[in-house]
Amino acid sequence: MKLLRDLLDKQVVDREQVKIGKVDGLVAELRPGKPPRIVAIELGSITLARRLGERPGRWMAQLVAKLGGRRHGEPHRIAWQKVRDIGVDIEFDIDVRETSIFAWQDWLRDHVIGRIPGA
Amino acid sequence: MKKLVEISLGVVTSVGGFLEVGSVATAAQAGATFGFQLIWAVVLGTICIIFLVEMAGRFAAVSHHTISDGIRERFGFNVFLWPLLAALLVNFMVLSAEIGGVAIALELATGIGFQWWALPVAFLAWLLLWKGTFGFIEKGVSILGLVTLCFVVGAVMLKPDWTAVAAGAVPSLPAHNAANYWFMAVSILGASISPYLFMFYSSGAIEDQWDKSYLGANRAIAGLGMTFGGAISIGVLIVAALVLATHGINQVNDYHQLPLMLISVFGFWGFVLFVASLAIACFGAALEVGLQQAYLVAQGFGWNWGEDRKPCDNPGFSAVYTVSLLLAAIPITLGLDPLRLTIFSMALTAASLPLTVVPFLFLLNDERYVGEHRNGIISNTAVILIIALGFVLAVVTIPLQIFGGT
Repeated sequence: MKLLRDLLDKQVVDREQVKIGKVDGLVAELRPGKPPRIVAIELGSITLARRLGERPGRWMAQLVAKLGGRRHGEPHRIAWQKVRDIGVDIEFDIDVRETSIFAWQDWLRDHVIGRIPGA
Repeated sequence: MKKLVEISLGVVTSVGGFLEVGSVATAAQAGATFGFQLIWAVVLGTICIIFLVEMAGRFAAVSHHTISDGIRERFGFNVFLWPLLAALLVNFMVLSAEIGGVAIALELATGIGFQWWALPVAFLAWLLLWKGTFGFIEKGVSILGLVTLCFVVGAVMLKPDWTAVAAGAVPSLPAHNAANYWFMAVSILGASISPYLFMFYSSGAIEDQWDKSYLGANRAIAGLGMTFGGAISIGVLIVAALVLATHGINQVNDYHQLPLMLISVFGFWGFVLFVASLAIACFGAALEVGLQQAYLVAQGFGWNWGEDRKPCDNPGFSAVYTVSLLLAAIPITLGLDPLRLTIFSMALTAASLPLTVVPFLFLLNDERYVGEHRNGIISNTAVILIIALGFVLAVVTIPLQIFGGT
């Protein structure tokens, strides 16, 4: 499997098949004398901004920390050992509700969308 | 039998998607100013969109990816950002133009200025997206959209010289106003080859859970649907050429000149038909473009999406179409002329084509996505020609906008 070609930017779903984002980044462990090993995937705006360059990455991290508090100042990570299936989507054995990945969507639901009649 | 119903429904839907403010306005302008001479641009645009829509549907049915998913996954985020931003911008302008088209229709019907209608129209569109399902929107838009067939009926009743019509299908050089002629050709191509159309189509294929068994239906829907759409555009052009020119209008620079096209064929009912056609075609397109904005963002970033879920299950997705519709109503509310906005956004659509069409060449030839159903030589030749056309359009649009725009 070619990591960048076959993993990066794929759709990520949790065990309930909820779409939680794309594989925005990969975290690899460099091992002396052996090929690097994937230990986690990253997703979220900070990782995406880092792909555009160092400076956008810093700005996005500052912005997100300002909006969502210190705990959102780092990208979301999912350990690679949680991977269950790689098909059209990559399924991880997690429940998105137990992570902070959808914190902003929850905020949006609670403060804006959910308050509009008929939602 | 079930397939046949689905195909007919799909065809009707694609007609609804094809005909919108851009195709009506550009065809009417072209007919008034250049007679039948620009029919070839409609024909060329229709052939191009048939190929792109067929490919978008095939890609979705075989790979279970929408076109936006495919671009992001195959080329990476940094490349995807460009078509994403271009499509968001172009769609914003097209959406605004569609809202403007409905607003103009309502102004014609009520006498109340179009600016006042933009926000109510955007609100109604939002309400349908908020409460409706994909099937409801798809079917509603398409069945009501059949009223636009009145342009074809009108064109036939006017008994045009069919040899002259056929001659217009062959490209020819203009005798006068060369810059305006080419600008019109570019706008017609932009109105026919709309990225929102094929991207929306691929999202629809996923929403309707297409698989490989839909490949035949997909081909029929793309071919017949777009051909009917193109035929209606040609109907508009023929009516404009025969009616407007005889009334001394050879430059359409105001929507108020347009109802005349059908009035002289159908009398008072022509006025009603024109207003209804404009309102329905533009409103349907506004729904589709608004939804497409949400699809694009949600698919690009991997959020949950789907028109059939309740808004509180997809807060991000619903927020995007809500904001898109609201923002798009603003320029019209501020009094921006819908006709000028339409023509401008159609030309800009044409200029943005390379960004959205180049990925087709890679995606539809990548076995990992489409396996044995990858493009044959005809489809690949078509994509390459469309890309070449797209680059020419991208280069010539801005100078033509300056020298040939109205």
